[in-house]
Amino acid sequence: MDVLVSIAHGFGVALQPVNLAYCFIGVLIGTLVGVLPGIGPISAMSLLLPVTLSGTPESGIIMMAGIYYGSMYGGSTTSILVNIPGEAASIVTCIDGHQMAKQGRAGPALGISALGSFIAGTFALIALMLIAPSLASVAIAFGPTEYFGLMVLGLVVLTFLTQGSMAKALLMACVGVVLGLIGLDSITGQPRLTFGRMDLIDGIGLVPVVMGLFGVAEVLLNLEQVIKRDVLDARISRLLPDGKEWKASAGPIGRGTILGFFLGILPGGGAVVASFASYALEKRLSRNPERFGKGAIEGVAGPEAANNAAAGGAFIPLMTLGIPPNVVMALLLGAFVIHGLQPGPLLISQNPGLFWGIVASMYMGNLMLLVLNLPLIGLWVQLLRLPYNILFPLILIFSIIGVYCSSNNIFDVHVMVGFGIAGYLMRKLGYEPAPLVLAFVLGPMLENNLRKSLILSQGDLLVFVQRPISATCLLAAAALLIGPSLPSLRRKRELIALDEGA
Amino acid sequence: MASLNAGKGKLNNSELWAGVAGLVFGTLVIWSGHALKVGSISDPGSGYVLFYTGMLIWILAVVISASAVVEGGRTFAELWAGTRWSKPFTVTVCLVAFSVLLEPVGFILASIPLLLLLLRAIEPVRWTLALPLAVLVPLGIWWILSRLLLIQLPSGIFHVG
Repeated sequence: MDVLVSIAHGFGVALQPVNLAYCFIGVLIGTLVGVLPGIGPISAMSLLLPVTLSGTPESGIIMMAGIYYGSMYGGSTTSILVNIPGEAASIVTCIDGHQMAKQGRAGPALGISALGSFIAGTFALIALMLIAPSLASVAIAFGPTEYFGLMVLGLVVLTFLTQGSMAKALLMACVGVVLGLIGLDSITGQPRLTFGRMDLIDGIGLVPVVMGLFGVAEVLLNLEQVIKRDVLDARISRLLPDGKEWKASAGPIGRGTILGFFLGILPGGGAVVASFASYALEKRLSRNPERFGKGAIEGVAGPEAANNAAAGGAFIPLMTLGIPPNVVMALLLGAFVIHGLQPGPLLISQNPGLFWGIVASMYMGNLMLLVLNLPLIGLWVQLLRLPYNILFPLILIFSIIGVYCSSNNIFDVHVMVGFGIAGYLMRKLGYEPAPLVLAFVLGPMLENNLRKSLILSQGDLLVFVQRPISATCLLAAAALLIGPSLPSLRRKRELIALDEGA
Repeated sequence: MASLNAGKGKLNNSELWAGVAGLVFGTLVIWSGHALKVGSISDPGSGYVLFYTGMLIWILAVVISASAVVEGGRTFAELWAGTRWSKPFTVTVCLVAFSVLLEPVGFILASIPLLLLLLRAIEPVRWTLALPLAVLVPLGIWWILSRLLLIQLPSGIFHVG
């Protein structure tokens, strides 16, 4: 009964005209960045982070969340019609989605992708409503030891899933921790790594780091290659799948939803892992696995449902524990902090309007996305024809302005350009930026919880293995670190490793 | 794989130099952590986490460098082989110049040449489109930010904007 009252309260917040407008802007921008290759939700969210300051916390966070799950919908359009993933979670959709389009079945591919995403998004929200409050009540009992264990696990999972060498990914995570510690020590108040510069006293901002590593670096990498977009010219008809297509897709949507939701909750996981895992599962379960890669609708329905369910699931660790499970959620954490809010076990009880309002707005957003993605498909196809040589100068100028406006400080623009160049070189050398960004956000929290644990236990390291949650997390992290040295596990890791920057 | 082995035992090996950069960075972090006071395990100081993270960076950099020596790695020329490297290079130079000039010259006067340069120098957009875009986009951004959202953008020594 309490949950129903809370949901009603949430819809009261979400249905306020201003919040509906922000939700619409968020999902519209999300679809836009999802559709356009070369801009992802990370760049768009960091660009718009300063804009959230102008409204209430509810409005700002509703918009940011909308960008995230909106991009999941939009990404599939580009994958199906152009065979270029609009964002990383839609890479798998290219395989069968584009084949379907080439066979004249672009309509059902787009339709099942949008409807599957809607079903999965709805399920994820219901599960979020049921699980988050219970988990938050358990998480109140968490101490610094548990938080330390969870953060270590999150970082290790992400480095495990990052493409390329594990040593490089771990090195990136360590660099992220160091960068996150720049500024005043939260316990002693001592300035660290500031080199006497006042600009560094508060540390480096998240926005210039992310905009540099993901926005500027991505543009530099894209410019190296000639991007040819072969947009499908055929008229798209019959967006709704027929009975046979629904029958084939029902199972993959159901399995993708459940798998995606749980992979979304896991620290370090997220929409990209979920879509790959769902595709692999469907191929394994299929009676005719040879159809995959040649236009099997199951290869579109499963991964698209999985990435949307994961996007919903990823809100659970952030809202209940205050731990962002991936880079997108780290940016959302930034939005909370900008408004003086700390996500964690007390968020739901102290700010019920905010929590339930965000959840309800996500449902409204999913409905809006269905309207935006199916009837307006022609508009998105036109947008795909926008050449990159016009698009990239605009991306750069908006990035610079976004960073400048976030702090009104030219130093942040220098930081962004510096990280842009560094990010470009890092990617050329095979160093992925995702572990760095997550460690940059988690670094200060990780340090704080480690030092508190050591002080409270009077230097007894056994405290980390005596508490069950921390022991489980650290054991799992250790297994993932040692795992890649075994040849069979190394091969598995290479198969599921991600290109976060894609 | 053949190109990876090409850098085996040679100094022109990008993987090796990336590892060396890691060693230098790790050393700097260890030194900083030590200077800030590492403290003890029961009373960790401000440099505690920095010191041990620096050690970890050092170990990982050694692993990366050693693997580069044993397995080889691509040369710097190979990293950019077959790519249009001059394009990102030009954009980088433009961005550095823009970030240096933004405050002294002001947003409008710095943005118009930047956009024009990016639109014309990388993959030329026709003048009839490039010129209006380069002028109208900065003016539009300035109007929205300065007039509607009341966010001050740098006006520079010429006080334009």
